[in-house]
Amino acid sequence: MTAVPQTRVVPRPTRSTVRSRGHLPGRRIAYVYVLPFFLVFAAFSIYPWVATAWVSLHDTRLSTYHQSSWIGLENYRNLFTNRFFWNAFRNTITIGIISTVPQLCMALGVAHLLNYRLRGRTFFRIALLMPYATSLAAATVIFAELFDPHLGLVNWSLHTLHLPTVDWQGSKWPSQIAVSTIVTWRWTGYNALIYLAGMQAIPSELYEAAAMDGASRWGQFRHVTLPGLRPTILFTIVVSTIGAAQLFGEPLLYHNGLPDGGTQNQYQTLGLLMYQQGWANDRLGLASATAWTMFLIIVLAVGVNLLLARRREHHVGGQARRTALLAGVPEVTSR
Amino acid sequence: MNGGVLKGSWVTYTLVTLITLVSVFPLYYTIVMASHTNAEMAASTPPIAPNLSIVDNMKKALELAPLNQGLINSLIVSGTITAGTVALCTLAGFAFAKLRFRGSNLLLAICVATMMVPLQMGVIPLYMLMARLGLAGHLPSVILPSLCTAFGVFFMRQYISSAVPDELIEAAYMDGAGPLRVFWSVVVPAARPAMAVLAMLTFLTAWNDFFWPIIALSTQNPTVQVSFQSLATGYAPQQSIIMAGTLYGTVPVLIVFALLGRQIVGGIMQGAVKG
Amino acid sequence: MLRSTTRRRGAALLAVAALGAFVLAGCGDSGSSATSVDQADAGPCGTTADTTLTVGLFGTFGFKEAGLWDAYHKMCPNITIKEDVVEQSADYWTRLKTRLASGSGLDDVQAIEIGFVADVVQNHASQFVNWNSVPNAAADKAEFYPWKWQLASTSDGSTTVGLGTDIGPEAICYRSDLLKEAGLPSDPDTLAQKWSTWDDFIAFGKQYEASSSKPSGSHFVDSAASIFSTAVYQGDEAYANADGQPDVENSDGVKNAWSYASQAAEDGITAGLQQFTPAWNKAFSSGAFAVLACPTWMMGYIQGQAGDDYAGKWDIAPVLPGGATNWGGSWLGVPDKAAHKDAAIALVEWLSAKDQQVTMWKDGGHFPSNSDAAAAPAVSNAKSAYFSNAPVGMIFGDISSQMKIPPIGLYDTQIQQALTTQLTNVETKGTSPDDAFQAALDDIEQVTG
Repeated sequence: MTAVPQTRVVPRPTRSTVRSRGHLPGRRIAYVYVLPFFLVFAAFSIYPWVATAWVSLHDTRLSTYHQSSWIGLENYRNLFTNRFFWNAFRNTITIGIISTVPQLCMALGVAHLLNYRLRGRTFFRIALLMPYATSLAAATVIFAELFDPHLGLVNWSLHTLHLPTVDWQGSKWPSQIAVSTIVTWRWTGYNALIYLAGMQAIPSELYEAAAMDGASRWGQFRHVTLPGLRPTILFTIVVSTIGAAQLFGEPLLYHNGLPDGGTQNQYQTLGLLMYQQGWANDRLGLASATAWTMFLIIVLAVGVNLLLARRREHHVGGQARRTALLAGVPEVTSR
Repeated sequence: MNGGVLKGSWVTYTLVTLITLVSVFPLYYTIVMASHTNAEMAASTPPIAPNLSIVDNMKKALELAPLNQGLINSLIVSGTITAGTVALCTLAGFAFAKLRFRGSNLLLAICVATMMVPLQMGVIPLYMLMARLGLAGHLPSVILPSLCTAFGVFFMRQYISSAVPDELIEAAYMDGAGPLRVFWSVVVPAARPAMAVLAMLTFLTAWNDFFWPIIALSTQNPTVQVSFQSLATGYAPQQSIIMAGTLYGTVPVLIVFALLGRQIVGGIMQGAVKG
Repeated sequence: MLRSTTRRRGAALLAVAALGAFVLAGCGDSGSSATSVDQADAGPCGTTADTTLTVGLFGTFGFKEAGLWDAYHKMCPNITIKEDVVEQSADYWTRLKTRLASGSGLDDVQAIEIGFVADVVQNHASQFVNWNSVPNAAADKAEFYPWKWQLASTSDGSTTVGLGTDIGPEAICYRSDLLKEAGLPSDPDTLAQKWSTWDDFIAFGKQYEASSSKPSGSHFVDSAASIFSTAVYQGDEAYANADGQPDVENSDGVKNAWSYASQAAEDGITAGLQQFTPAWNKAFSSGAFAVLACPTWMMGYIQGQAGDDYAGKWDIAPVLPGGATNWGGSWLGVPDKAAHKDAAIALVEWLSAKDQQVTMWKDGGHFPSNSDAAAAPAVSNAKSAYFSNAPVGMIFGDISSQMKIPPIGLYDTQIQQALTTQLTNVETKGTSPDDAFQAALDDIEQVTG
């Protein structure tokens, strides 16, 4: 395929060539426009966050909040020499991979299916969003029930089919898979709809041309759909990476609200570890250090993702496509 | 929207139906659990169909927990947050997208970086702040921090920068329109699909949020997620009653989906196409 | 009340609450309505002004269900009571701590559980009304079991942060039908003899496991945790030394309890269920276990989980292997900054009085911490129809009078959680007890710092 559709990302030629933005009047009023946001933001986001940084340098417990003592970077040192931290770090990566990769692949497949002309398409699309509308708490309870090693529906089915049952709670990989299943279930439809939207922006002429060139459906998917979706895919990867790195609700609820991530911490994530340190163990200083460490890790992970994607893009496509991507990164990261 | 390129075969329908079933199943199973006692759920063949005792269980849940008050408060909270987020974020997004001003890149970078911040740690300072402002326990303590999100600003900024052509804005200025008027009559109409998406996401997120509301509010003045707190105050927590209560608190969201589904999904389609 | 230190509420949905970590009882200033400054001589209700009192509770106290709020409103028509309930005691406690730290938003009455009373005494005593200096101090103090009063007091006894609600004397609850099926004795008095020590108890468990007629998949006791969290309080020390400092490695209670519990786990007489999980809840009716350690509050829990179909299948043996002890219990405190302090003090004193504690026992299964109430015929003569007409008043009254209470410490809750979690690994993962204990010490170190 030669033509790559860029509808989503390429700026209209008139706009970018004739004038660069910034020449529009109303510069000063801009401050007024962003002011409400930054007021809210400074008061209710930045302030607590800076306070967290301050706390991370202290030995702080909630019971003795006003008597905490300065200990410098001791919390960070403690963290990096702490096996619970490294265990959670590894789990965050593995659960992140087990949940994100199949989720995005499936979302692509689902989107592809829904891109066909179907009766009741709207119904199917709404159904896809149901997991996102279901509260996380309710969803996790159901899944914990389904995966219950003793009486759950999953093991009951396995048993009925004369297959060996699995300890979805106690064993490391099965439990990580179970947690990942919840994540996947919740976000696949959402990502599918984003992909679907991207697909709909691909002009149908491209498909027709491809068909005339004798491309099979699979060929069309590979050579028309995938290239057209590339910026969207990058966006979903970035957002999913952030989401995976912060994961904490699912593993918490999966162990009935215990923050240990299983009896052997087999599915404890960094987000959950932070929660355990801060709330269950009442070590706010240590938990704050974990929070800041997580922030840096996420920045790093997202950075690496973007870098890899850009390099690959550079490698794969020509200059035109690269420009498109660069335009597309902030473009699609928006959601 | 071109409505799809290829016609679906029966294979497509089968697969899509299967996916739909998987998507909806946990919700269905909530209904099943809401209508069976623990003993029934523990039977060697677990029940797979709901029955009418769900009505009784909902009644019991309503006696135990201030669910109706929670629903009303949730409606107020989610509604205000949604309106505020859409308005403020569109405004700020417009400024970032179309009005270059000193420090805009830095401000935007700060904004984007905070999307990567795990938020759970900030709640104690935040509570102390709310207490100092005299807002703790009242709905504004839940509304204010969510009134405008970095996510929303960035989202609108991205959308507006590609969906609203500069020429359109310039033309409006030449016609003598002031900045506010430009915003109102040029930017807002063009950004409507993205605003719809942002509104839906914000509403769902606010409705299902309970981490901060449970800290800030009490069961006397709860959002619906907080009101679930009171569900198991009987002598033994019967899962069916808890599930029935949860269902009762989820139904309004489902109704919104059923009624507005077409528009919402349409909004996403349109928004994503451009954004 | 009546919550164990490790107790997580059963149904998993309750974990919803856990995400919220700490709820601050809202509306500290909402109950203010029309009240003016309370006056010391404002009569038995603490005030004559129209007042709404907020009562911060967690889990299952059951005052409302027992009709006590209505009764109080009849006695003091100007007082209206509103509960502010948080599901899990751990969440409640984090929320209370946040409120104490910020000094605002406290309810007029705050419940204090045995799992964190030591922290309140040690770190927040100045923020609560001292019950040694209220007008009725002497009369208040005389009502309670001395140990109950002491646990809520500083070591010199000068400051007391709360008045007791209930206590949790323990016996053994069992499914008589399952024991019968296994061909074992099932009448309470025989069992009391056969279960007088943990060694005997475990030996009996092995007989149960060896029985060819017991239902398949059924085990003797629910969990090693059940044995552990009971036996640990039979030591001179549990998790803390006399100064309230964590002292797991030198504790005789921990050492003995660990050895009994891990032996039970290795002998395979436990069902390996984690307490207060959905699977455990279901087992009350499914018969996955026959026996469990049973504080008074567990009776209501069992009844709720197993349902009416199992009435008469459950019974209670008047014994606790290794000697009488306590599991759970709570106090009610009044924050110094409470909006309606005098009215709140009056309410708490009324709730702690004999008649109300008797009502709470009759209507809620909460055993009185007021020793006069415990001796009242309405308590001591009580029988439980659900538990095969067991003379529960007598059983738990006897145990209460013999109970031995070790000191409690700041981190008892988390330490017990760490140890019982590791016991689950011994039961279900085949972890060696020594490795598991070491892992628990690592976990505990994360808490104590």
